[in-house]
Amino acid sequence: MTMAHQTAEMAANQTQKASAIDSFIARERARERRTHINNRLLATGFGLFVLAVWHISTETGLVHALIIPSPIDTLMATGRVMSASYFWPNVFVTLSEIMWGFAFGLSSGVLLGVSVAMFAVVRATIYPYLVALQAPPKIVLAPIFITWFGFDQPSKIAISAVMSFFPMFLNTLTGLASVDPNAVKLMRSLTAGRWQTFRYLLLPNALPIMMAGVKLCWTLAVLGVIVGEFVGASAGIGYLIYAMNFQLDIAGVFSLIILLSLFTVVVYQLIEWLESRIVFWQQL
Amino acid sequence: MDTELIDGRELSKVYATATGPLIALDDVSFTIEEGQFISLVGPSGCGKSTLLSILGGLEDRSEGDLVIAGKRLEAPRADIGMMFQTSVLFPWRTVRENVLLPGVVLKLDRKAQSERCDELLDMVGLNGFGDRYPKELSGGMRQRVALARLLAHDPRVLLMDEPFGALDEFTRETMNLELLSIWEKTGKTVIFVTHNIGEAVFLSDRIFVMTPRPGRLEGIVEVDIPRPRKADVMRTPRYSELVFDIRGMLGVDH
Repeated sequence: MTMAHQTAEMAANQTQKASAIDSFIARERARERRTHINNRLLATGFGLFVLAVWHISTETGLVHALIIPSPIDTLMATGRVMSASYFWPNVFVTLSEIMWGFAFGLSSGVLLGVSVAMFAVVRATIYPYLVALQAPPKIVLAPIFITWFGFDQPSKIAISAVMSFFPMFLNTLTGLASVDPNAVKLMRSLTAGRWQTFRYLLLPNALPIMMAGVKLCWTLAVLGVIVGEFVGASAGIGYLIYAMNFQLDIAGVFSLIILLSLFTVVVYQLIEWLESRIVFWQQL
Repeated sequence: MDTELIDGRELSKVYATATGPLIALDDVSFTIEEGQFISLVGPSGCGKSTLLSILGGLEDRSEGDLVIAGKRLEAPRADIGMMFQTSVLFPWRTVRENVLLPGVVLKLDRKAQSERCDELLDMVGLNGFGDRYPKELSGGMRQRVALARLLAHDPRVLLMDEPFGALDEFTRETMNLELLSIWEKTGKTVIFVTHNIGEAVFLSDRIFVMTPRPGRLEGIVEVDIPRPRKADVMRTPRYSELVFDIRGMLGVDH
């Protein structure tokens, strides 16, 4: 065999190998895609199945329309409710309650969490009480808050803030505490002060756990407002749900529940998107 | 040479534990000259990490006196740098931002720090990796970044707590060689904790051999192998002899 011949053969071998690897990778990719599509199909199929069961059981009278309205009735009710004159004013009442409750719960949770984590005196003074208060269900406060703050928005905001405060507080505290001891040593060896350590190490280090707290805080802020409106209100989505339920307009109730869920999920997704921006290094 | 940089006298450390006082470090005295490479060697619990923490001003000594660069050590100081077994890089900061951290904390001149950062990344062989995040690097590369960060604010004393202990054997040897060449270039005083006797002999001018319960300085071994040292040092009889001497002091060969 000549030298040129050998080289040519080696090159051919190499091309063969490369194409074998390429086709292997292509096959793996295709399999991943198939799995992905299959999963999507399964989820969609299950959703459609539930919808079909719902439709058939209500349309055939197996379940009375007063107990569960049919999907079509629910859809019609959604249109009816959304075009009613009372809808948007009530939506705005609830929305502003949620936003204020969320804002108060979030900010007080972060502030107290940071204070307890950073100041030994604050920790010794109030931490035991905050932990004790965290145990009972906060819903028990709803009737008292209505007595204290009245039927209008302030009572709902208060309930919402109290309910959403705890996850934010605890997650801030946990986040600030769960730091690599060597990282703290490093900051100390660089003669960093308390707030330098906070700014450059503790706070960014706490952000992933704090963002998980924000998501919990959000769902509880919504829950707090709706609970408050159930217990006593003259306006709002919770009030509408309560009133419609009383009038046996179950389709209306269903439509409101669906709209409220949609809104909560959309904001939740928004928070998740923000999270992926803020704690970008988690996804690297 | 009488350019004495570190003077430790009768250093002791006692911890109060539930079962009574625990002596972590018992009456340790030594001096270290500027520019020396010192290793602290011994089994777990011999007080080598405690001694390093005391040298860094991170832990109080129970007794004894410690003077570094003419001043009594009472608290952490910017002229003493620390490096750990894990890289302790901040994952939200790029490689560059991590190396710039000491300068930011110490409020050093930004431009000068930025230039120094380039030089240091070059020195540790990470030119072009400045904008990567720590998660995108291998364990060895992360320790290189940590080494660059250690040198960023130009401390006189480098305290290294098993810095390559978590790396695989091959990477560790490469890192040791590079550490030696960096040390030769910068002339820093290094105190290097390890439980790898061979590593200590290869790197050091002097080895502090420590024994546990309580943590004592058993003896100081002078390593008279000429520099600059290359990997083939490990094949010389003198190297083996020193390794076995130290093993003897530690009672490993009984």
